[in-house]
Amino acid sequence: MGVGKDKNLGNLGKQKSKNTIIKEETISSQSNKEKVNNSEEPEHHQEEEEEEIASDSESDYQELSDYEDEFYESSGGSESGESNSSGDEGSIDTDNGDRMDNEDQSNDSESDRVAEESDSSEDEVAPRNTIGDVPLKWYEDEKHIGYDITGKKITKKERQDKLESFLASADDSENWRKIYDEYNDEVVELTKEEIKVIRRLAYSDWFKWDAKHPLSNAPEPKRRFTPSKWEAKMVVKYVRAIRKGLLKFDKPKEEPRFHLLWGDDSGSAEKAAHLSYIPAPKPKLPGHEESYNSLEYIPTQEEINSYQLMDEEDRPKFIPKRYTSLRSIPAYENAVKDSFERCLDLYLCPRVRKKRINIDPKSLKPKLPSRKDLKPYPVTCYLEYKGHNGAVMSISTEASGQWIASGSTDGTVRVWEVETGRCLKIWEFSEAVQCVAWSPLHELPILAISVGQDVIVLNTGLGNEEVQKKVKELLHVEMSILADDSGNKSSSLSWVRDEKHEGIKLRHFRTVSAVEWHRKGDYFCTVMPADILPLLLFNCNLSVLIHQLSKKLTQRLPFKLRGLPVSSVFHPTRSVFFVATKKNVRVYDLLKHKLIKKLETGLREVSSIAVHPAGDNVIVGSKEGKLCWFDMDLSSKPYKILKCHPKDITSVVFHRSYPLFASCSDDCTAYVFMAWFILILIRTLLSFHWKFSVDIQAQMEEE
Amino acid sequence: MEGDAEERQIQARFVTKLKPQFKAPPPAITIPANLTRLGLSTIVNSLLKAGNPDWENEPFDFLIDGELVRMSLEQFLLAKGISAEKILEIEYIKAVVSRRQEEPSLHDDWVSAVDGSCPWFILTGCYDGLGRVWKTAGLCTHILEGHSDAITSVSIISPVGEDSVTVATGSKDQTLRLWKFHTEEPEKSPAKIRAFKILRGHNASVQSVAAETSGSMICSGSWDCTINLWRTNESETEGDLVSVKKRKVKNKAEESQLEGEAMSTLVGHTQRVSSVVWPERETMYSASWDHSIRHWDVETGKDSMKIFCGKALNCVHVGGEGSALIAAGGSDPILRIWDPRKPGTSAPIYQFSSHTSWISGCKWHDKSWFHLLSASYDGKVMLWDLRTAWPLSVIESHEDKVLCADWWKGDSVVSGGVDCKLCISSDIGVV
Repeated sequence: MGVGKDKNLGNLGKQKSKNTIIKEETISSQSNKEKVNNSEEPEHHQEEEEEEIASDSESDYQELSDYEDEFYESSGGSESGESNSSGDEGSIDTDNGDRMDNEDQSNDSESDRVAEESDSSEDEVAPRNTIGDVPLKWYEDEKHIGYDITGKKITKKERQDKLESFLASADDSENWRKIYDEYNDEVVELTKEEIKVIRRLAYSDWFKWDAKHPLSNAPEPKRRFTPSKWEAKMVVKYVRAIRKGLLKFDKPKEEPRFHLLWGDDSGSAEKAAHLSYIPAPKPKLPGHEESYNSLEYIPTQEEINSYQLMDEEDRPKFIPKRYTSLRSIPAYENAVKDSFERCLDLYLCPRVRKKRINIDPKSLKPKLPSRKDLKPYPVTCYLEYKGHNGAVMSISTEASGQWIASGSTDGTVRVWEVETGRCLKIWEFSEAVQCVAWSPLHELPILAISVGQDVIVLNTGLGNEEVQKKVKELLHVEMSILADDSGNKSSSLSWVRDEKHEGIKLRHFRTVSAVEWHRKGDYFCTVMPADILPLLLFNCNLSVLIHQLSKKLTQRLPFKLRGLPVSSVFHPTRSVFFVATKKNVRVYDLLKHKLIKKLETGLREVSSIAVHPAGDNVIVGSKEGKLCWFDMDLSSKPYKILKCHPKDITSVVFHRSYPLFASCSDDCTAYVFMAWFILILIRTLLSFHWKFSVDIQAQMEEE
Repeated sequence: MEGDAEERQIQARFVTKLKPQFKAPPPAITIPANLTRLGLSTIVNSLLKAGNPDWENEPFDFLIDGELVRMSLEQFLLAKGISAEKILEIEYIKAVVSRRQEEPSLHDDWVSAVDGSCPWFILTGCYDGLGRVWKTAGLCTHILEGHSDAITSVSIISPVGEDSVTVATGSKDQTLRLWKFHTEEPEKSPAKIRAFKILRGHNASVQSVAAETSGSMICSGSWDCTINLWRTNESETEGDLVSVKKRKVKNKAEESQLEGEAMSTLVGHTQRVSSVVWPERETMYSASWDHSIRHWDVETGKDSMKIFCGKALNCVHVGGEGSALIAAGGSDPILRIWDPRKPGTSAPIYQFSSHTSWISGCKWHDKSWFHLLSASYDGKVMLWDLRTAWPLSVIESHEDKVLCADWWKGDSVVSGGVDCKLCISSDIGVV
């Protein structure tokens, strides 16, 4: 049931909406009727008068009254419909339908006649008078009322005096339909249809005006006439609020009386409110050149002629001229062309808002720390590691920084405790120690040293038992391997157990000058610098050897070396190998066995080389005291050449974490350089480049 | 003008907080303005001698408005802007200076660590891997045997007052060892002692050991950049399994030794942790070669505060006013003192720079708010007072680097160095 009810309700709702429409119509008709009733009273008198006056025009009036009856009939029908509307819907529909039918019929009957003279007055018959919509007062005193279409004056007709007109109207039953047209100065007789239209228009007006009136005939309630207490209260409240100043009235906005004609309208608020609006750039304002009495240089006629020969682009845009007065300035001949071009520019080149971050480029520069703060480098000598009796040729620090090792010409290798300067261990050899190098692995405290023609891998004996066990395993050499090696490969060296020092001895065929570890601590390379004579005899490839500790293998470089190798170093992150020869530094790829780059130092004799821990910077020291700083990403020429030392540079080194590098020389000085700023800049600038080149390499590999 | 300056006189009254026999007569006396500390000291001594004929001369230090006088009175008043018209109140205290040098106690190798926190003995660690207990100068009562490499740090754990004492040592052999001995055992000296517990867990040399105030836990800093916390209890509950296992594997020599594992590891330093201190139950401080001092919350294991110094640090100690000031020294000759309570700045509040080489140790006096000592590689131990920028006194008993130093019994300084000596400078007049 509930659902059904709802449905009914829904229907009702629909019907209600219909109802309202209908009601409106009925209201209108009802009100019409009322109006008619209301207006009938005064009209009655008129009509009575009219009846008295024009009893002859019975037939015509009859017609009108017929029409009115008809109207009453229909409205009466609708009234009944309204009375029924609350009860039965169907009857309304039918009634309504009847009424509609009636109306339709009447409309039909009329439509034919209307169609004949449709829009007759306005369009087809042009008004006789052509003065237009001007006050007729202007023609009051004239003899004519205006002009016809040919321009002739339309003279005023003789006016009937009042009495005559009255008599005429009394005589003429049609007179009530006659209207005097002031404009055309003629009497127009309205047709029945026109009257009908007029009435209809008039009704609709009444309806609008009438809508304010009560729908019911009930007497007005008293409250409509008594002043509202609540309103009075509110008024008092507002008055108080205004007096206290709680209520404030917005002052009317004052429109600026003037606005800047030449002001910059780009920032004006109204325009900027629209986000995408971009004001057009202003055309260039005329300057001194365009002045009529220009002080600029006035080109001579020849020059102007020569301009004509010039290219369109190069020709001066405006040739200044001088005139005696403002009056004599001719019109600017290019005005149209210029404005057209400007419009074209604006149109064809739409303005685009560019997002631009406004950054002071100086703020992007990393701040240089003050030299006082930048003192990770030593200033004074605090600690001395005393014990060597000969010149110390080489030192090397352990990975964690706990120990350093030093090799000396007195034939000893010593391991020192960094913090106290205590000598922990001493090994003695028969020859001067050329080079010492700690393994880069903290877990493997082993040393590679070069003594004369030998390279010895030493167990330092540091670390706990497990470490020692591992080290001993690693440094264990069986005699069988040795035999195999020597038998198979002619180039390979003998890995011999050094009983005295508990290590491995590699016997080279020439004096070894440098030992350098790979970052993984498995490989190390040895360099045997040679004079030219033995080099001619031997294969120069043999002067740089790479040893693998875990397999006890020795390899020579898989590529041909040119020049006399002085020093070599592994790349700290990639499988790249740097070999410094006397003049150049060659960069090899160990995996692909090829030369990547040749760094041209321009030095006479290179003595040492160091690679930055990031691997992108190389410094090379030379025997003439010059330092070359290469940036691997930039070029094969030195990025910077520093000449600080008057004598040979013996060693160069990069700091592991700070942006520093140092060089030491035979002149008893060591320099510490700060390379912070440039390193950072270069790294940021070239990081993209770097990625790019890596990509290309990868692609090439795929191909 | 010059003559005028020479004749300038100052009304001064000498006051002191020392014991009654040091009290000078209260009335103000007129003294020349160009007097220095020595002059003032002689005046006070003569005043005291006037009152007490048996008086022996005693060096004094003088405080005016809480600052030690280190120049002539006139200069001092000018520098501090103190009016010379009023009666000047000069407080005198006993000069902090070593009045007696004990005979050095010789070791077999470098003395790397010393702890004087127990008044009955001194504990030293040595590069020969032995720990030694010294009753007095030259009298070694116990030798702690067991470490296979140099001892780097020693710490007395158990609270004072028990007859049996527990100590901890850290060594370069990557272990820590706990030892227990009776202080009353001088019959057959020196007695050799073995560790009752071995703490393994560091992957590199142990650099420093510090005990908690209650003695139930110790912490250790190491070359492997970590700080480990260990339990010191003797019960075998947690160390039992390990010890049994080890006993089977190892030979019988270590039959009575327990093994312990680290209770927790504090990670944060990026270089070797060179020094740790544990002044309160919840808080710990550590100094490292990564230039930082970190304040650790022991409960959470987080470093709640960092102070960056710009130098690799060798030592740190906490003490002074409210036991809150941090003193640290490192790879430069400057002893720095921070006040972590001071907001908004991490700059040191005091910097003492009279040393000429690295500072290897610094210790606050446990009674005084103002006194601390520092040991340096320049072979000197310096005593400092926060109230003056100059060292109170310099102890130059060592011939080479001093590696460690500590207060002992409140008025002595013990120090060990590369010259294999343990030097005791006693009778220092710290209140």
